[in-house]
Amino acid sequence: MTVAPPTVLAIDWIAPVAGAVIAASTLPPLLALYFLRLRRSRRVVAATMHWRRAAEDVRANAPFQRLRFSLLLLLQCLALALVALAIAQPQVDLGLGGARKIALFIDRSGSMGALDAADGSTRLAEAKRQAIDRVRGLHGGGLFAGPAPSIMVIAFASEAAVLCPFTDSAAQAIAAIESIEATDESTAIGGGIEFARSFAASGREDAATSGSAPAVWEVFSDGRIGDLGGVALRDGEDLIFHQIGSSESKNAGVGAIAVSRMPESPTEVRVFARIVSWGKVETTTDLELRVDGRLLAVTPSPVELAAATEDAATGTLIPAQTQAVFPGVQVPSGAVVEVRVTADDLLPADNAARVVAPRIGGLKIALVGRGSFVLRSVVMGLSPAAFESFTLETWDKRVAADPSSPDAFDVVILEQVAPQSMARGRYLMFGAAPVGTSIVPFGTKEQVVPRSIRSEHPLMQYVNLDDLFVASMTAVAPGSDSDVVVEASEGPMVLTLSRGPLTMVYVSFDPLETEWPFQRSFVNFTANALAWLAAGGLPAAEEPLLPGAVAAGRLPAGAQSPIVRVSSGMAAPLALLEGGRFALGPLRRAGTATLAWQGASQPATPASLSFAVNMDCQAEGRIDAADQLRLASSSIAAQPSRSASQSAWPWLLLAAALVLLLEWWVWLRRM
Amino acid sequence: MSDPQTVDALLDSRLMAHLDRLDVVSKKIFSGKIHGERRSRRRGQSVEFADFRNYSHGDDLRFIDWNIYARLDRLFLKMFLEEEDLSLVIAVDASASMDFGTPNKMQYARRLAMALGYIGLVNNNRVSLFAFAGDRIERLTGLRGRRRTREMGQWLLDVQPNGAADFAQACRTIALGGQGRGVLLLISDFLFPDGFERGLRSVAGRGFDVYALQLLAPDEIDPSRHGVFGDLRLVDSESAAEIEVTASASVVEQYRERLDAHVAALRQYCVRRSIAHQVVETSMQLETLLVDYLRKRGLLA
Repeated sequence: MTVAPPTVLAIDWIAPVAGAVIAASTLPPLLALYFLRLRRSRRVVAATMHWRRAAEDVRANAPFQRLRFSLLLLLQCLALALVALAIAQPQVDLGLGGARKIALFIDRSGSMGALDAADGSTRLAEAKRQAIDRVRGLHGGGLFAGPAPSIMVIAFASEAAVLCPFTDSAAQAIAAIESIEATDESTAIGGGIEFARSFAASGREDAATSGSAPAVWEVFSDGRIGDLGGVALRDGEDLIFHQIGSSESKNAGVGAIAVSRMPESPTEVRVFARIVSWGKVETTTDLELRVDGRLLAVTPSPVELAAATEDAATGTLIPAQTQAVFPGVQVPSGAVVEVRVTADDLLPADNAARVVAPRIGGLKIALVGRGSFVLRSVVMGLSPAAFESFTLETWDKRVAADPSSPDAFDVVILEQVAPQSMARGRYLMFGAAPVGTSIVPFGTKEQVVPRSIRSEHPLMQYVNLDDLFVASMTAVAPGSDSDVVVEASEGPMVLTLSRGPLTMVYVSFDPLETEWPFQRSFVNFTANALAWLAAGGLPAAEEPLLPGAVAAGRLPAGAQSPIVRVSSGMAAPLALLEGGRFALGPLRRAGTATLAWQGASQPATPASLSFAVNMDCQAEGRIDAADQLRLASSSIAAQPSRSASQSAWPWLLLAAALVLLLEWWVWLRRM
Repeated sequence: MSDPQTVDALLDSRLMAHLDRLDVVSKKIFSGKIHGERRSRRRGQSVEFADFRNYSHGDDLRFIDWNIYARLDRLFLKMFLEEEDLSLVIAVDASASMDFGTPNKMQYARRLAMALGYIGLVNNNRVSLFAFAGDRIERLTGLRGRRRTREMGQWLLDVQPNGAADFAQACRTIALGGQGRGVLLLISDFLFPDGFERGLRSVAGRGFDVYALQLLAPDEIDPSRHGVFGDLRLVDSESAAEIEVTASASVVEQYRERLDAHVAALRQYCVRRSIAHQVVETSMQLETLLVDYLRKRGLLA
């Protein structure tokens, strides 16, 4: 079912009182002046004797002759009535008249960065302009203005943000709209609608008078919204779709990028890129490869991209894709590798994708404890540069002989064992509680499930613990230098610890007593933990982030004065959280963000960390504006791209001026 | 029609050529002071035979018809038509009400008087002009012959409308002015607050063949078509009296009925006293008026 845009022209009176006052204060005096004959034009005639007799005759026969038709009086009354109407500021409301609560949803996703607005600006700028016009149309009229609907402003991309709750202040709403900044995130509106419903419901509870008024969601977007299939309107809700953007679909971008070091030459990498084209015609483009901003290579011949095809069954557009490989490029550890499409199109944000080059060489890993097959297999699957297995006694002796021996390994995995000394080193510890740290065990807990998971933590990238059930867990109390990542009601299940030269990821249960090792998330978790520990507790930055993601982690002990630099050139100091932790973001724009610091106590750890953020070209690359929003149970047709409310007062004033001109002309003709 | 500033403008040569063929005709035959070119009802010494009558003692023997005496043995006297001159008196109303309308009534009156006077002059009539306004009467009398045309025209140009006319006094003055019997042309709008009756009574029955030419401007005949509509303060051009009128359609209709009644009353009054009355709308071409209307009315031949 497709819902057409509203065609019933409702008229709102912004200042009806003012119009009535003007009409009441001018029309009666005009009639009074007319009756008082104060506006008689003087005219010389040859003789008045016949006129006098004629007037006397008519007066004698028609006592109300002054009420006879007068074109001039009619025109004057008409002009005054038009002026009074103009002052009342009628507005032809193309939206839904009577709505007392209107939520403006402004799409700030990546596709809204397309440069196809009339003035060459972005779609977001056009959406903001139209939204501000809409607010001004709903509010206005000054002192005599009638009640205006409450307006809420919500910006949405991958997440929705309430920028302004329901307010009667047009200035506040406009300021909120103007504060919206562009992002390169994907698009989801469901959360925003839930926000609006919550606020509208709370408003109804507060004000009984507004309880019956319908709520209207007005969406300023190009219509490419990912979660529309899960959105349904409820009773009393209406949605207006203000289409932003053109039907032009020409856009090519980098859909994915990956780098891998060549085993035979670890200083070189191979760069893989997937190029996506949403254009409906074939096109070609060159590709550039840049490392830390320096141009290193260009494809020898243009990459040919076929035309995007449309699925006849579903009507969806399937982009054309092709692969490109740059082999054998010398790239140092931590460098930012960028592949860029040189073709000119409307959406520049997806024309480049970046990735942080992995470190040169694999990890040196030690496994202490029982050396289970599962852990051994996982570690070996990560292609470590070196791998050694120790028993607890052997390890303790080794550390006793040389306290700095743990530094010989990038990561030491402790499986169900607790070494006597853990003064320094980087540990991934399973089961047994550590000794000599701030982590204090206080028994065991059974039948434990995760309750709180910090999914944004680098350890938890691509880790799903929804099905994790732990039969028995060591109950521990974290110290001040600990950071809980996964927590159950009974205590921490996964935490990190960073104290001087010691960095640790502690898992408070034995994975082998759960089904976790049979799940992909265990492998991911182990890989994340090894990378995180190897980086000295820093996030594993090799994996590009999606716009909107938060890069979080803990800086090395002693790190000071962290500064964040983004690819646009802006730099800002970053405030550290407790224990040296940081949270960078959300990183809403595609590009790179580099976190640099000073004074790390471990010479081996780097002094900067780069994060690559790439637009999801698959989700946001389609830029032809949709002509309707396909909701779960209905479709909303786009409203023409213009203000939803048209002010009629300029036309009324023009009509009044024309009537006055006509009156003047008639008057002159009679003089 | 522009305001004529010169005599030539007052009477152009083309109209003069038409007027040369016209003559003023009087229904009455008058005895003049000199022999004129006009046949008179009086038997006189012209060559045109009129009748016979019995001879009586003292008649001029030269007019006895001897042929009849030879046949009948009785004396009869041959009688011939006497040719007399005609006195043409043109009286122009120069009150302020005449300076009104489009075309202006005063301008029209000047041109009409000039044309009629010219006809009189070229036919060797005795032409007298009067202009009355207020309590004064301007006059130019004793004109005869074509050569007085320019003098007459300049006099008419010098007449300026002013004030309210005392029509009765003006007519009395004209009637007693000793101009002799002849044709009297009254050119006026006859919008006299005191009425026209006393004035016309003064000239009727005094031996004049009187023509009342009532000039009315189109603005007066149909004021609604000329912008007289709506709420007005009307100012009388002569008395400066003001009246407030809401000129609705019915009021304008009442005005027109009043004007028609006024014209009808004037016509009826004139008919009773053998005065010819003609309403002249100033939009009418002067040549049309002279050649068509006034010829039909018998003033010109």
